[in-house]
Amino acid sequence: MSLYPLFARPRTVQQAAQVLESMSSGVVVIAGGQELMPHVNHGVLQPEVYVDINALADLKGIREDDGLVSIGALTVHRDTFSDPLVAEKLPLLVEAMKLIGGGRQVHNRATMGGNIVAMHPLYDVVPVLLTLEAQVEVVRGAETRRTSLKELMADPRHGLGSEAILIRVLVAPMAADAGFAYEKLKSSGGAYGSANAAVALTVADGVIASLRLVIGAVADRLVDASEALAFCIGQSWSDALASKVEHCCAGLIDQPLSDHQGDGEWRKAMAGVVAQRAMGRAVARAVAQEGR
Amino acid sequence: MPADKYVGQSVRTIEGRGPVTGTSKYTNDFAFPGQLYAFIVRSPHASAKIKRVDLSGALKVHGVVCAYDGAQVAEHLNPLTHYIDPGVFGGQSAELRAVAIDEVWCYGQPVAVVVADDRRVARYAASRIQIDYEPISPVLEIEDAIAPDARAVVPGWENNFIMRVPFRNGDPDGAFARADHVVSTTVRIHRFSTQPIETRCYNAVWEHDTESVTLYATAQNPHPMRYVLSQILRMPENKIRVIAPTIGGAFGVKMHGHPEESLICLMAKLTGRPVKWTETREECLLVGAREQRHDVQMAFTADGELIGLRDNFYANTGAPSACPGWGMAFLTGLTMPGPYKVRDIDVTMHAVATNKPAWNAARGYGKEATAIALELALDEAARELGFDPVELRMKNFIQSDQFPYPSPNGLMYDSGDYGGAVQKALAAIDYEGWRARQAEGIRDGKYIGIGIAYELTPEGGALPGTMVSGYDSSSVRIGPDGSVRVLTGVTTPGTGNPTGIAQIVADELGVALETIEVTQGDTTTCPYGFGNYSGRSTIVGGGSAALAAQELRVKVIKVAAALFGVEVEQVELHRGIFSVVGDPARTLTFKEVSYASYTRAYDVASCIMPPLEATATFKPSSIRHTPDENGHINPYPSYSNAAYVAVCEVDVATGKTNLLRFAAAHDCGRVINPVLVEGQACGAVGFGVGGLLFEDIRFDSSGRQLTRGFMDYVMPRCEDIPEIRMVHHDSPNPDTYMGLKGAGEAGVGGSAAAVANAINDALRPLGVALNQLPFSPSRVWGVIQAGTAAKQNIGEAA
Amino acid sequence: MEDLLTQSTLVQLRVNGKLHELEVMPFTSLLDLLREELHLTGTHMGCMTGHCGACTVMVNGRIAKSCIVLASTLERAEITTIEGLRTADGKLHPVQQAFWDEAGFQCGYCAPGMLMSAVELLKENPNPDDAAIESGIAGTLCRCTGYRSIVRAVKAAAVRMNSPEA
Repeated sequence: MSLYPLFARPRTVQQAAQVLESMSSGVVVIAGGQELMPHVNHGVLQPEVYVDINALADLKGIREDDGLVSIGALTVHRDTFSDPLVAEKLPLLVEAMKLIGGGRQVHNRATMGGNIVAMHPLYDVVPVLLTLEAQVEVVRGAETRRTSLKELMADPRHGLGSEAILIRVLVAPMAADAGFAYEKLKSSGGAYGSANAAVALTVADGVIASLRLVIGAVADRLVDASEALAFCIGQSWSDALASKVEHCCAGLIDQPLSDHQGDGEWRKAMAGVVAQRAMGRAVARAVAQEGR
Repeated sequence: MPADKYVGQSVRTIEGRGPVTGTSKYTNDFAFPGQLYAFIVRSPHASAKIKRVDLSGALKVHGVVCAYDGAQVAEHLNPLTHYIDPGVFGGQSAELRAVAIDEVWCYGQPVAVVVADDRRVARYAASRIQIDYEPISPVLEIEDAIAPDARAVVPGWENNFIMRVPFRNGDPDGAFARADHVVSTTVRIHRFSTQPIETRCYNAVWEHDTESVTLYATAQNPHPMRYVLSQILRMPENKIRVIAPTIGGAFGVKMHGHPEESLICLMAKLTGRPVKWTETREECLLVGAREQRHDVQMAFTADGELIGLRDNFYANTGAPSACPGWGMAFLTGLTMPGPYKVRDIDVTMHAVATNKPAWNAARGYGKEATAIALELALDEAARELGFDPVELRMKNFIQSDQFPYPSPNGLMYDSGDYGGAVQKALAAIDYEGWRARQAEGIRDGKYIGIGIAYELTPEGGALPGTMVSGYDSSSVRIGPDGSVRVLTGVTTPGTGNPTGIAQIVADELGVALETIEVTQGDTTTCPYGFGNYSGRSTIVGGGSAALAAQELRVKVIKVAAALFGVEVEQVELHRGIFSVVGDPARTLTFKEVSYASYTRAYDVASCIMPPLEATATFKPSSIRHTPDENGHINPYPSYSNAAYVAVCEVDVATGKTNLLRFAAAHDCGRVINPVLVEGQACGAVGFGVGGLLFEDIRFDSSGRQLTRGFMDYVMPRCEDIPEIRMVHHDSPNPDTYMGLKGAGEAGVGGSAAAVANAINDALRPLGVALNQLPFSPSRVWGVIQAGTAAKQNIGEAA
Repeated sequence: MEDLLTQSTLVQLRVNGKLHELEVMPFTSLLDLLREELHLTGTHMGCMTGHCGACTVMVNGRIAKSCIVLASTLERAEITTIEGLRTADGKLHPVQQAFWDEAGFQCGYCAPGMLMSAVELLKENPNPDDAAIESGIAGTLCRCTGYRSIVRAVKAAAVRMNSPEA
């Protein structure tokens, strides 16, 4: 805790990584500031060093890279969800990101990297990226590492935001005939999500052929329900299947959040509701694609 | 061609230009040379003994000017003066200190203050203050506080009742004995508050030349605040100036009694420099309101006549405070039984002290709770007894030919047509159409609900022996150039009343609106007044300005007549032009006549006494503080009222309510400026909807407040408020200037109750209902689940 | 690497057309910089957590909540505040005019958020329907109006901006 913190504005990723490596503690990486500043303003967080990464060219831009969609960590939400490449290849991400709260002001400033690094259970981007089995590129010291987001999130020593820098996200394009949906339940226009579900699936001959579904905002950690929902493969969508999905997904939540958004019992049940609704919409989309 | 009168027109506000250009100055926008900043250290405990306060760490921080604990502050400040002292009314009052001395009574109570030349330095230094507490198990809920063995929140009190007041009339026991049906309903209202977007701010400037203090303050009531400061600071009122600049919303929370007011003045006095304190949102959320539990019993005849009402209710008003919040509970009781003609009533109000942070006034001032309790209970009765909710209300309303109507509690309702307002509101929303859509919807699994509610809102209140007064004063001044300045004792929190008052003055005086400037909120320049509360500002501010303007009109007409050389009866004045009846070519401008009034005092204008200034008071005659034979007083001159209808759809799988449509028919008497009145009414709907559906201030079991920011205190956004059809159903008030009634306070309870009733209507096919606020998705879902489980149990048992 | 670390940093901000070179402390929010250094108090503080939107300004042509923008990260930026919405000759922006004429606000404390949001929205969508307006101003809280007058004002602004004289 320092009353007079220091500031650094590195020009390259290498410089930035060196700055982070040279500091023992109290360092924060800052880009859009949307996640960090509320804590700074209230004195909850009193960093000793701010490392401003806005000048790092490697963290900018959206492009295709070796068959993957690469989204730089500094890309703000509005640029991501209005990008034609993202719209074509990752429509699930667009659907979810448009539902991010805070209004235009936040969409204009909040970055992909900030959203991921926050690792906030109520946020909307990570459930989608996990559903799409995204990879991330991370620099720590001299090392550049590409890893799955899932693996990174499971590592309590990932050091993102203080020791390591997220460079970009890499996502394989969704199948052109994929069904997808992002279902977000919130109590009111200004509330954070109480339960959300991201789903991407394919349908062949009217039955579900593949499926990925991740549930967020109901527990401290996001819940990947894909394996548990394996019973859906080979099934066509029906009320009976919907209620099985609902029951299954609610059952996956053993330690639900209980906060201002709602109590644990409700949260658990809502995990099932959003999962089932997301899947219903996704199947309908896929079936419509198939019918074309 | 301009209409003849400004009154009745939706003219654009004079004061509305500043906010759109960013040039309005709100309190926090003032900064002075040598500005210092205060940071207040607050208790992390709901209840604790303070064993030791060590300020030395803070005093070592570079940039810190001073730091004080409660004992040191008490050397300079008297105990806080109550806005409304419960002791005056036979209740228990506590000795309140700006900064706690030996004991803290709630989470967030001030325990020390640091003043530094930088806000961050002050906050940092505060973290260096060491305080040893000995926590005491807190009393948090109503049930804990009223238990026979409850610990007294205030040491020395006999129990935790700040005040207990019976409101009893007629023969309620007889009514219940002869009733065909008795319906019991427990209505729980949670803690929610007003949260204007501008938080409180005080900037105190020590005036070395006059050894006086000028306080720039987010204050609704500058003159009464000056009195209170004089008592606490031990300074005469003429050494204190309170200036309330542009206010960014108030809704009651900027009524005084807050410890920071006198504390910041003291800091300025002790340092000799300007000291500013700006409330954080977290601090603003400490201020509570509204939390009540009602146990309502309604006695009905077989055909649905409400013949008896019992309501034993408790308000969790938190720790004692000098703010007027606790008085809301009193008004809840006094306003019973609202718009209904039942006369045999037995209502008991309990204002309960707990270790939650204190209340302050909140728009509705307890009258919203009356509406919520009555309207939810009436719908419960309608469901239980199989009556149509509209019909049940129609059957029990006071009729329009019964006014003036003495309520069982002695209030004298001035006027109204409650049944007519309901019909208008139903027509505005297409009630029959929605009932049809509801029936269709249920076939497709859509749960649509339609809810109606009524709210009676006494406004313009006056409590004897307090600084809540029923009259107010204005001055009108015409300069030699003919421009007009109006100074009022009332203030505006942003409602547009300065323009409403200017419209009145323009009509009364006969000048163009553009020539009028309105000044408010400065205790040194404005006439004595009580500021803004209780929807009073246009009634008494407008009424007094009208009287002053009438006085000046007589003067300028006299001078004009002298200048024309005609009789006063022959002079006309319209929009600043004097003319002679029958000789329209002969005219004089307002400037010519004004100039003559000042400069020709010894010849042509000697018929009047200069200057062209007048101060008048409007004192509504219907307020009566002398108790009648039943001991009742009538503290209100105005009884605005409105019918509310809400249409919603409930997603029964999630418990989430989607509001589809909203309508209201309101009676706020004569309307000065329709667009401003509608703005007030729509704003109140926003409060009602937010409070009913999601706003909620919560605590953990140790009494620490969990709701600390807008992430958790979720207020309505644009998408949450449906289209609102607002229709007027005005009956002029016979007892006020031009028939005005209050418009600012009404609607929070009525709109909340309409939405609640709509949700319960939607849930009706499921056989469940909810009478506990907020109607959050999780709670609505919980009720549906419990209902489903109960049905299954019945099924299994059969 | 220590040479990269500084106790303050230089930013070049063109605020409402006027260039300022400022040395700012690392922790300063753009809101505090505007209000306390540049005395542009038309931008308001309501929560300091990015929820209320009363602090909204335009940064490089896009609206942002200045309380959660760290000033030191704006190495070079073009800022427009509510004070800068008027044209050079003092004429109100049509959005300002519409909000005033239509009684869009009551206390007006949220004006920076509502006006800036409406300006950006109408640039992107000159004929927004109710839903577009609702989402367009979703980042800003108003406690006075129940929002209906604000929606009315945004629609009136659209009409003005689409009319040939505007």
